Amino acid sequence: MSRQYEIPVGAQHISLLEPLHFKFTTENERIVNTTANVFYVHRGIEKACCTKFKFRQVSFVVGRVCGLCSISHTTAYSQVAEKLIKIEVPRRAKYLRMLVIELDRIHSHLLCLSHVAENSGFEALFMKTMEYREAFMELLEAVCGNRIQYDFSIVGGVARDLSARVAQMIRDRFKIFKPQLDELVDIFQNNWSLSLKNKRAGAITVKDAMRLNVVGPFARAAGLAIDVRNETEDLLPWKEVGFKIVTETAGDVYARNLVRLREIYVSLRIIENVINGLPESALITETKAFPDGEAVVRLEAPRGELFYYAKGNKTQVLERLKIKAPTFSNISAMVEGFKGNEYGSVPAIIASYDPCLSCTAR
Amino acid sequence: MKTFFKAIGNLFRKPVTTRYPFERTYIPNDYRGVIAFDEDLCIWCRRCEMACPPGAIVFSQDMEGKQTYHYNRAVCIFCKECVRICPKEGALIQTNQPATFALKEENINNGWNSLFDEAIKSREAFAAEKKRLAAEKAAAAKKTAETK
Amino acid sequence: MKRIDTSIENVKNEIRDFYHPGLHHFIVMNAVDLGEKIEVQWFFSNYTEPYEITVFCASITPDVEVPTIKDIISSAWVAEAELTDLMNIKIENTEKGFVLEPDFETGPLRKKN
Repeated sequence: MSRQYEIPVGAQHISLLEPLHFKFTTENERIVNTTANVFYVHRGIEKACCTKFKFRQVSFVVGRVCGLCSISHTTAYSQVAEKLIKIEVPRRAKYLRMLVIELDRIHSHLLCLSHVAENSGFEALFMKTMEYREAFMELLEAVCGNRIQYDFSIVGGVARDLSARVAQMIRDRFKIFKPQLDELVDIFQNNWSLSLKNKRAGAITVKDAMRLNVVGPFARAAGLAIDVRNETEDLLPWKEVGFKIVTETAGDVYARNLVRLREIYVSLRIIENVINGLPESALITETKAFPDGEAVVRLEAPRGELFYYAKGNKTQVLERLKIKAPTFSNISAMVEGFKGNEYGSVPAIIASYDPCLSCTAR
Repeated sequence: MKTFFKAIGNLFRKPVTTRYPFERTYIPNDYRGVIAFDEDLCIWCRRCEMACPPGAIVFSQDMEGKQTYHYNRAVCIFCKECVRICPKEGALIQTNQPATFALKEENINNGWNSLFDEAIKSREAFAAEKKRLAAEKAAAAKKTAETK
Repeated sequence: MKRIDTSIENVKNEIRDFYHPGLHHFIVMNAVDLGEKIEVQWFFSNYTEPYEITVFCASITPDVEVPTIKDIISSAWVAEAELTDLMNIKIENTEKGFVLEPDFETGPLRKKN
């Protein structure tokens, strides 16, 4: 009969990027039980959006909920506000929104991969991935004006246009980036010392993923083929620009890395199709109506399914706004995924879940 | 094995860091910079103040009715909502100059909060004074009409 | 969006008849303050049918206890813990204190008249 120890991985830890707290009960260095505590950065954004800000200003407030998926929040809020005031955006605005969503997905996946490599002990790969990611931050600054909090989608359309000079800059950068991406896939797939840390760590099965309602690359790596881009064609035309879903079967950290790398290839193809076939039209639809009724929108952020519910009452201020972040759905699966693993692989497993606590505890 | 040789090769290459502020970074033509105001073209409708999300523009009014424009470059998020909603083209434009740093003497946080409250109060005082003068004038006009 | 209005006593049986783990996906639970009553909503989507979102709605007064769905859907404990703290409604088998600190005022998302 061995003794059980309780070890906290606290709200402040040297390997965590986000303020999470897990308390593990371990027996001979194998984890037996876990409890989680996640609401450390609650800021009261839903209350502020319903009392202090008018409905056109809320898209700027909501873009500051998260730093890595800022475009997903502003676009989802703009779509739900457009459903409430019953207007349609012009065609060029839809394609420009898809361009920035895919650029954002690439930089977020590269950040997560570099963090997994750092926590598995491979510091040189962490720095190499971050160097390749820097090219995308410069592209985003040329397209939207800012490296992280792009105020790009507004209620009615988009704020800036894509000039021919920036389109040529994107094409030139992609020519340099594609061999670099092939090199990264080669290292993540075939390096022997990295696979010792990543294979069979933090695994969940398909049945668990369906029972616990998991979303995002976490679910796709276990074999559950859900992606909101497959399911919403009326607001943004994903299938027309070449979207394909990517799945794996193992469900461990190694499979999640491969899913994220393959999604970067799909995003590169979507961006090239959008730049080559951008239609000509206006950028914003003007209207003077007030929001009324209730509406629901779902969108695929880099970490999973993002859900917005809004209710209006014919005044400038909304009545209720509800935001559901992708990590919110994944919390109970995160707790399940630790069972039976060694305590030493905990930092790599947490980094591969890709938690974003600012979205969860808005 | 390939990564091992690449890592050795990296010892002899120069770093990729940009040594800011000793080297300038690249600023394109359509950079999101500070907002410039042209007083001759403004029609004083105050729509920019109602549309600004963080509240970086405020208008104060003195007792003769003349309005003054105040702008805070540290609260502004450079989103261009004020430029889009202004009905007169050219009164507000977005330049491509980055915002300069704020020094302690400018008192840009607490000083702005008290300036904002005073500006709103000065507008209310002017509106109350105008109402009082109009009520006096109406009472005086009614009196002269009765005595005739 | 398909909206199903029921009463608070029947809603647990209806969710139990409706939910199938391989077919449906539980999104989130939500509550809207309508003045004297509070409307509680449960959102579900479908793995095989795109665009089909089903909502179960039930109106309660603030002192009625809402039945829990943790025995049907085990990952719903996070949504219920958030709603007890932020809206100050009673849910079966749920403790306060997961989101807000114990000495903070409860129910900040309610309307204050």
